[in-house]
Amino acid sequence: MKIWTRLPNRELVLFFLVTVAIFSFFSGSFRTTGNLENILVGFSHMGILAVGQAFPILLGGIDLSVGSILAVAGMIGFDAFLIYSLPGQIVVPLMLVAATLAGAVNGLLIVHARLQPFIATLATMAAYRGVTYAISGRQIFPDLATKSIDDDFLLSFDNYIGHFPYAFFLLILVAVVAQLVLSFTKFGRDLYTVGGNLEAARLSGIKVGRAIIISYAISGFCAGLSALVLVSRMTTSQENLGIGIELSAIAAAIIGGVSLQGGIGNVIGPVIGAFLMGVILIGLNLVGITTYAQPVLTGTILLGAVYYDRVLVLRRARPAEAGL
Amino acid sequence: MTQKDKALLTIGGNRREVLTGLALGAVAVGTGAAGILGGGVLTGSKGRAYAADKAYKMAFIQFQPHTVSTAWAKGIKEVLDIQPGITFQLLDGQAKADVQISLMDTVINDGVNVIFVQPVDSVGIAPSIKKAARAGIPVITLNIDSTAEHAAHVEMNHYYGAIEIAKAMGKMLGGKGNVAILNAPPGIIIRDQRTNGFVDGMKKNYPDIQIVADQVADWDRKKAQDVLTTILTANPDLNGVYGVNDSMALGAMDVAKSKGLKLVIFGNDGEKDALEAIEAGDLAGTQYTDVFQQGRFAAAAATVLATGGVPATAFTAQGHLLMPYVIATKDTVGSIQAYQRW
Repeated sequence: MKIWTRLPNRELVLFFLVTVAIFSFFSGSFRTTGNLENILVGFSHMGILAVGQAFPILLGGIDLSVGSILAVAGMIGFDAFLIYSLPGQIVVPLMLVAATLAGAVNGLLIVHARLQPFIATLATMAAYRGVTYAISGRQIFPDLATKSIDDDFLLSFDNYIGHFPYAFFLLILVAVVAQLVLSFTKFGRDLYTVGGNLEAARLSGIKVGRAIIISYAISGFCAGLSALVLVSRMTTSQENLGIGIELSAIAAAIIGGVSLQGGIGNVIGPVIGAFLMGVILIGLNLVGITTYAQPVLTGTILLGAVYYDRVLVLRRARPAEAGL
Repeated sequence: MTQKDKALLTIGGNRREVLTGLALGAVAVGTGAAGILGGGVLTGSKGRAYAADKAYKMAFIQFQPHTVSTAWAKGIKEVLDIQPGITFQLLDGQAKADVQISLMDTVINDGVNVIFVQPVDSVGIAPSIKKAARAGIPVITLNIDSTAEHAAHVEMNHYYGAIEIAKAMGKMLGGKGNVAILNAPPGIIIRDQRTNGFVDGMKKNYPDIQIVADQVADWDRKKAQDVLTTILTANPDLNGVYGVNDSMALGAMDVAKSKGLKLVIFGNDGEKDALEAIEAGDLAGTQYTDVFQQGRFAAAAATVLATGGVPATAFTAQGHLLMPYVIATKDTVGSIQAYQRW
């Protein structure tokens, strides 16, 4: 009972169920196993990104560069497979390492160059996108752009067990590991402390700089995983892959209850938030709402989530202000 | 505030939250139950009582909102609106391959009978096209082909049209000079067709004309202005420009006008703005296709396939349809009627 009252996600879970119920009611195609599969396939990578995004936000920061890190990882994979013909067993770890390092650079900029997280990741968002275009095998060898990657190891990431794609199991694995780290390791507890009050954390001896760098590296790693999922599904990569996806990942994390003020949240919420957005986008298509109205509705839901987050922040402050 | 009061405050707060949650939950369960009991369980059945009037669904997943795809949609709607029982949905790919893949999955699951698609990435869309084929849904691609075999590819005759453009440009340049290509983003087969056609046409008919630059301008007028300005810095004695679509050619025209240069500029597609520029003498020419007609032809093929119950699996080879075209220059542009301009 104690865990139930402490979980900040129960309203989200109920909202999710209500939304699923509404769409199931209005569209016959929505309540099919095929649709369940589509939502899982289409938004598992978003869930992975949202889990990664939770770490910087828990610190009170933000990571705007995940879309560009995703693109860099994807393009490295494209070049490695099609220009250098490396096997998947080498390329996949290469993509993940590159993405993690890219995330670590974000952390270094924040800790050592003392840049605001928003500014630092905004800069790397632009820089990494530029790197993607610069290294793009598709621009250097245009005929490669219409060639598909057919490496077995890579393509094995696009398999299914019944109606569940491997990407979904990857998401579950990432979420479970992340939640275990947050709940049961010193590093996880340190993150909450740093997010709650940075000065107090520093004064109590927590290595704040190291926590920041590791968190942004985790965010980068999750972007690399997402790139893996997308590239294996498309058998190619694009220079504009992932443009704008950072906003969806941030939205999913916030809808999932990770507070922008820092120090509050878990990774279950972002996963539900990501699938909630998937349910809404696919549901709106199936119900027949015009494509152009959909971003408006997604934006409204995000506004609602941020507003609710603000309400909770004020509510948490009230007992403290009441003076003891 | 005493400890006890603080505790009561939190318990009271929790109770309120639990009650709100319970109320929402009751609504959720109630609606969900009504939905599930009301019509069909997790099997995908639509529960249609009548077999008399067959209904067909079709969807067009465009690259992104653009004059070309809007005109196709208009042509498609003209034909489909006349057919009884066919509904049509226009979807936006937002220039992203993963968005198009998700949309394909959605419409396949929704049970459409035919899918029109203008792929953002010829390779990236291939797995989705194969998925549609497994579900028996014929896929018709417009202008941009895919590496996966599908029912039909309806295009503006990219390769031979580009050869004709090269011939026309070569003639206007007097057989000598330097030309630049403002190209489409990579990853789509139309780019290869239009570029190779131009290059092959020049090499065969006017081998003295050099192609000095081939840069990507993303189908965009503004980007084309920037790219051409850069190219001109490196090649000040440029004589001609081939914009792989009209938007980019018009961007080149803007630069030529602002710098007062005499360039022979050709576009491709046949947009209204391009035709007007040709009539004004600012643009040398373009390959004009009646895009409304292209939409109508695609819709006609789709209607026959859907109403005839032809599944994707019945096709033994990749279907093709090349559209008739006109190389519109100052002399020929007058023959294109107002109602054909898009």
